[in-house]
Amino acid sequence: MVIVPDFLIKRIYQKGSLKKLENGASFNLKNVLGPGFISGFNYVKINDVIIMNGKEYTSNDVSDDNPIAFRLGQAGTLVMTGNDSVTEGVNKIVIEALNPEAGVVKLSVEDNA
Amino acid sequence: MEVSFDKYSLMVDGKRVFIKSGAFHYFRTPGVEMARDRFQKMKAGGYNTVDLYFNWNYHSPKQGEYDFSGIKDVRKILEETKKAGLFVIARPGPFINAEVNAGGLPFWLLKDEEVIPRNRIGTEYKYSPKYMEYVAEWYDQIIPIIREFDNVILFQIENEYATDSMEEDYMKELYKMARDRGIKCPIFHNDAYFAGLWADCVDIYALDLYPYINPNQNWKQDNFCFDTLDNVEDIFRCAKEDSPPFIAEMQSGWFDKWDGMGYKHIREALGDEHINIMTKTAISQGVTIFNHFLAVGGTNWGNLACDEVYTSYEFTAPIDEFGVPQSNYHKAKEINYFLDSFDLTCTEPKEFDFCQENIYAKMRHDITNDCDWLFLRNMGIQGEQNEAENGIVLPNGKTVKLKSCDMKICPVNLSLKGCDIEFSDAEIFARLQKEDKEAVFFISDKDANIYLSDGTVISGNQKDFANFTFERAGKSTQIIFLTKHLADKSWFLKDRMIFNADYVLPNGAAAVEKNTEIAYFDLQYGFSKKNCVVNELDKYFIQPLEISDVKFCSPEIDLDYDYSSWKKISGKTDAFSCNIFDEFIWYKTKIPNYLTEITLSARHLFAVYVNGKEIINRNSYKLEKLQEVPETISVPLNKSILNRDENELTILVQNLGFDKGFSGDTNNPRGLVIFETTPQIPVEFSVCDKLSIERTNKYESDNPYLAKITVNFDVEFKDNVFFAKYISFEDFRCRRATIYLNGVKIGRYIKRRHVQDKFYLINEFLKEHNTLDIVVWEKDRNVKSAWGFKSDLENVKILLGTFKNYQLFK
Repeated sequence: MVIVPDFLIKRIYQKGSLKKLENGASFNLKNVLGPGFISGFNYVKINDVIIMNGKEYTSNDVSDDNPIAFRLGQAGTLVMTGNDSVTEGVNKIVIEALNPEAGVVKLSVEDNA
Repeated sequence: MEVSFDKYSLMVDGKRVFIKSGAFHYFRTPGVEMARDRFQKMKAGGYNTVDLYFNWNYHSPKQGEYDFSGIKDVRKILEETKKAGLFVIARPGPFINAEVNAGGLPFWLLKDEEVIPRNRIGTEYKYSPKYMEYVAEWYDQIIPIIREFDNVILFQIENEYATDSMEEDYMKELYKMARDRGIKCPIFHNDAYFAGLWADCVDIYALDLYPYINPNQNWKQDNFCFDTLDNVEDIFRCAKEDSPPFIAEMQSGWFDKWDGMGYKHIREALGDEHINIMTKTAISQGVTIFNHFLAVGGTNWGNLACDEVYTSYEFTAPIDEFGVPQSNYHKAKEINYFLDSFDLTCTEPKEFDFCQENIYAKMRHDITNDCDWLFLRNMGIQGEQNEAENGIVLPNGKTVKLKSCDMKICPVNLSLKGCDIEFSDAEIFARLQKEDKEAVFFISDKDANIYLSDGTVISGNQKDFANFTFERAGKSTQIIFLTKHLADKSWFLKDRMIFNADYVLPNGAAAVEKNTEIAYFDLQYGFSKKNCVVNELDKYFIQPLEISDVKFCSPEIDLDYDYSSWKKISGKTDAFSCNIFDEFIWYKTKIPNYLTEITLSARHLFAVYVNGKEIINRNSYKLEKLQEVPETISVPLNKSILNRDENELTILVQNLGFDKGFSGDTNNPRGLVIFETTPQIPVEFSVCDKLSIERTNKYESDNPYLAKITVNFDVEFKDNVFFAKYISFEDFRCRRATIYLNGVKIGRYIKRRHVQDKFYLINEFLKEHNTLDIVVWEKDRNVKSAWGFKSDLENVKILLGTFKNYQLFK
């Protein structure tokens, strides 16, 4: 686990962006830390339910060999399907992403749907 | 010296100074003479400051014991900085990272269970009074030495530190500890997250920037890697409005790892373009204190390395591990000389209405010189679609051709003594000034022009020494061109220039490899020449070394070996529990014949021997996603292995180093981490450190598992000659070896696809008559007999090479 302080990683998550979708969820991420790549997601948990459990973000073909660039200032929406775990009120979200330079980066936030 | 600062720059005794620093690891380039050589080369390359990490672990083998003698005498290193005319940035940690063993924290500190290293568990802050007591002990040792030197202009506390909740107690206490011990210069911290961390706890906010940390990445295509650097002025101003922008570590190279691509790949990937872009972009962002990390490559001799890195810490630095200036040195030199020629310590960003895809354009107004500087960078990919290669049309109507990944600093409305430059995309190399005369050296560029305010246009397409003189009101400016090739061999020494030298020393001595006509220029006498005839130097030959002796050298594995004096341990068997922090740890015990299996996990390489016979030899080193991957192995035993009632078990573990503590934990265990038997029985081990050749003269053994190859060679030392030698393992058949030069461990070889097979024979450890011992640990499985193995080793190829020879002429 790379030692990046929690409060810094949390800045990536755009508060208030969590949306409940039919059989899924979405939220926005914005890179305010520095340029880099995402080479995969170990998992995204919402309220302790893993709603994307792939080793890689295969829908976008993200992998070690084909990482997606995440530029400084760049924003994106992460859309996940397969599980309906977003509830009304406060939701606990945990994202474990992979970065080729930093290794595993874990982000834990709370947001309202 | 009194050091002050404002929002623009540092001031030394009231005078603004642009700090052009480079990092040097005295522990990786050991000894005063090597330090002197590297400092002189740094100074010749235009650096005015050297950054020194002070490595706590290197000096403190035991709590309360500190060694500042011999090659560990940091006073002598600091004296050499002063003699070379360099300022010093002092960085005594306590934690330094730098890919050194345990990040520079002493092993005894990590072993102490009352200590929480760096007051942090993971990212959670936890104050540890015992840790702070030991930090005070270190500061009590190192700060009084640092204080003796008035050329120390900046002092760093901690390094790359952060916690989840960012409690300030630790940083504030370190600050106070430094001040209480007499540190007078500004204090800073190096923020690895460029997020304004600890800005309120220090005098000057500083950060580190490494846009290229993944050698698999092509930074020339993924050009957004400079996003942070391109906006760094805002980060500085948000963090601390009234301190000068300071990049405490600015990438000038990168380190390679055991499973890496090799330094050749990294050097080619970075090219000269990377250091050019890094440094010029930093200046365009108002940075007036930068520190190229590293300026000088080094060697992980002894037990210096953390587990990630191998022996060479070449780092693709401007001055390489061997002490030889490389092409990125010459690029840094160009920028450093420019900064010596024009004072850019006091500049402000200026509006510049220009936008084009892949072009970075930044204008700064120079308050001191009352002119502007336009910084232009082309990050388009090389080829036809890169419009900037064909010409960027600027708002002032001038067209600038920029190659892919090139960056220029262009003067705008620059008033010289004899003429005014309206705009130039030919770059300035250096300026000599004396009273009403000046000579401004430009680098020839066939696509560039100098536009003077009177309408004169001077083409940049010029040969060496082409010159143009302009006069007005009794003052004159001579514009002189140098091709890039000559610029690399041109040296700026305050009042004169020296040409055609491979490098020069601050006293003007010129170093050359071959017969050369050195040229000199000053404003009083103009040009002069001198022939330098090089003596018969040791040419760059590679010669096979004759093997003088091969001996088996692991008596610890022999059945009759007496280990009664070894330390006995039961329970945990890792390095901390054994209190052994050397690269090699021996474990010996007796086991009964009814065991069916042993299960073990060891970091990082290990072999198990029963009754003098090897049953497993394994490299367990593995890193994935920057994390070490533990490996546990079960080894079945049977009656043919356990052929006695009481069987002697010997385990040898090679620890490649403790974690450096950046993304992992310095306390991650090493040595024999897990040992279990089936059926489970209590085991008491006797333990010992080091290979026998390091411990005793009686090292010969009956078993063939570790063998020592000895070669002898002579080196001729001559006055005024610099040389760098190496041994090559290019055709070496064994997979692992540890190399000792005159008894000093200078390298470890583990066969890898890209990783090093040439080892620097560190000048500090070379003598006139030398003995090289190479301990091979791995009998080739194809060789059945000990005799055959020995015979093979007597015929291995070890080559001695000379990398460079320079002769110095005064």
